Amino acid sequence: MILKILSKLLSIGTMLSTLGFIGATSVQIFARFFLANALSSTEEASRLFFFYAMSFAAGLALRDKYYVELDIFYRKFPKKIRKLTDIFVQLSSIFLFAIMAIFSVQYIHLGSIETSPSMKIPMSFAFFSLLLMSLTLLIYGIVELAKRNKLK
Amino acid sequence: MIALLVILFIICLVLRFPIAFALGFSCLIYLLFKGIPLLIIPAKMYSGIDVFVLLSIPGFILAGNLMNTGGLTEKIIAFCNHLLGHVRGGLALANVGTSMLFAGISGTAISDTASIGSIMIPAMKKEGYDSDFSCAITAASSTVGPIIPPSVPMIIAATLSGLTVGKLFLAGALPGLMLGVGLMVVTYFIARKNNYPKYPRSSFGIIMRSFIDTFWALLMTAIILFGIIGGIFTPTEASIIAVIYALIIGFFVYRKLNLRNVYTVIMDSMKTSASLMVLVGFANLFGWILITERFPQIISEGISSFSQNKYVVLLLINLILIFVGTFMETIAALLVLFPILLKVAVTVGVDPIHFAVIAVLNLIIGLTTPPVGVCLFVASSIGKESIGKVSKASLPFLSVSLVVLILVTLFPQISMLLPNLLMP
Repeated sequence: MILKILSKLLSIGTMLSTLGFIGATSVQIFARFFLANALSSTEEASRLFFFYAMSFAAGLALRDKYYVELDIFYRKFPKKIRKLTDIFVQLSSIFLFAIMAIFSVQYIHLGSIETSPSMKIPMSFAFFSLLLMSLTLLIYGIVELAKRNKLK
Repeated sequence: MIALLVILFIICLVLRFPIAFALGFSCLIYLLFKGIPLLIIPAKMYSGIDVFVLLSIPGFILAGNLMNTGGLTEKIIAFCNHLLGHVRGGLALANVGTSMLFAGISGTAISDTASIGSIMIPAMKKEGYDSDFSCAITAASSTVGPIIPPSVPMIIAATLSGLTVGKLFLAGALPGLMLGVGLMVVTYFIARKNNYPKYPRSSFGIIMRSFIDTFWALLMTAIILFGIIGGIFTPTEASIIAVIYALIIGFFVYRKLNLRNVYTVIMDSMKTSASLMVLVGFANLFGWILITERFPQIISEGISSFSQNKYVVLLLINLILIFVGTFMETIAALLVLFPILLKVAVTVGVDPIHFAVIAVLNLIIGLTTPPVGVCLFVASSIGKESIGKVSKASLPFLSVSLVVLILVTLFPQISMLLPNLLMP
């Protein structure tokens, strides 16, 4: 149930950020061709929307197996070794994303003392997207591990 | 310490870590061993993704997927069939032609193999073509896509080298056409030898009607290219114009798009893009460690001590890239190797634009190099044919790709002609 809600929220986040990205870039194009001055804030806004779109979608991509892997060697492993490597890969990935999430919080703190050049929003808002990315990857990493154990 | 990083990365790949996570995890262990503050992980991830040119990738992927969902693949296939169907082996030639036209839309080889193969391989088998040949030509022709603009690997190469995307797009055009024409010539001779079928010639009216159907897709490629080359739009703006254009064509001309399938296409494209951006972020961290450890200089000195001859160096680089491209996904390989090898190539006098074309060409040839080329696997699974047979049938096409690679390597003019002419 919680996972369904999370997945729905991430999908909505991805969709809204993508529409924001398309919208901001469209305004940028329109302003350049049809207004006297190009709006400098649109480039920054499109970057921000892009970061959030990627962060919302990163966990969903893990859930739906969009990350490319190399399985030519793995296919040659005996079944037992495959099971062990699967668990090792999942645990290592979880460790990686947990570390990334922890240090993203520090990074967000660093961002609070500077603002973006044209929109003047704190950079911590942009850096927050990395925490979001790490957390969604971490959650779906844990879900994947739980699923594999359940299957056994 | 650099050995630790590289060995760990290779072990992670062997254990079937996703390539992005293999980069991240090997970096994490390295940083822990070296006692480097781990704050560098989010910092390098952010700076890696925060590159303006990269913003164009989700747009190009989305535009391609919208066009594909809008029924474009079938229309391109129909046009190529009407145009080439009367020649012996016409369906196989149409397969190559479709990949050349589809290249402007998709930009990645594996998606070309999957989308075109799912229609063409069953159709070819039904018409009496050998199953292994059908799979092999589909896999081989799909490698034309990442060279002919707009090309995702070329955008990545631009990001890594600071070169302009427009110049790189133009540089890939002629080699892409050579590859496509070369594959068509070999296909024709194989078709004649095996007496593959041909059909009655389509009337001019039918050909023109099917051309008008595909014209909208070709126009999208033209808008993107001329917009970027003419300095009218940035690559990111061009990608969003392509998205809006694809939506208009899909809703109002082809009438195959609706809100439901647009939602699915957007989600699918963003998940593909996100998986690439996580890869780009970790590759930036990996690259930073390699630079701090002077790895590019070590490789450069190693190759220079072996030979100072430009062509020997390029031969060595070609061999490394084809080998890596056989095992590793194109963009991942590009992110890890391109900055290192570019430095080596530039020191022996190779133009960076010329080198970008060589690198991308090598890596996509790797996708169809037996026995582990990824496109061969995709095609063989669609055609339900053994990988061994498909690998054997792909050898003539691989030879064509290698000949084109040799020509592109030896004659920089092939890559440099269009950029020098149109973007001096």
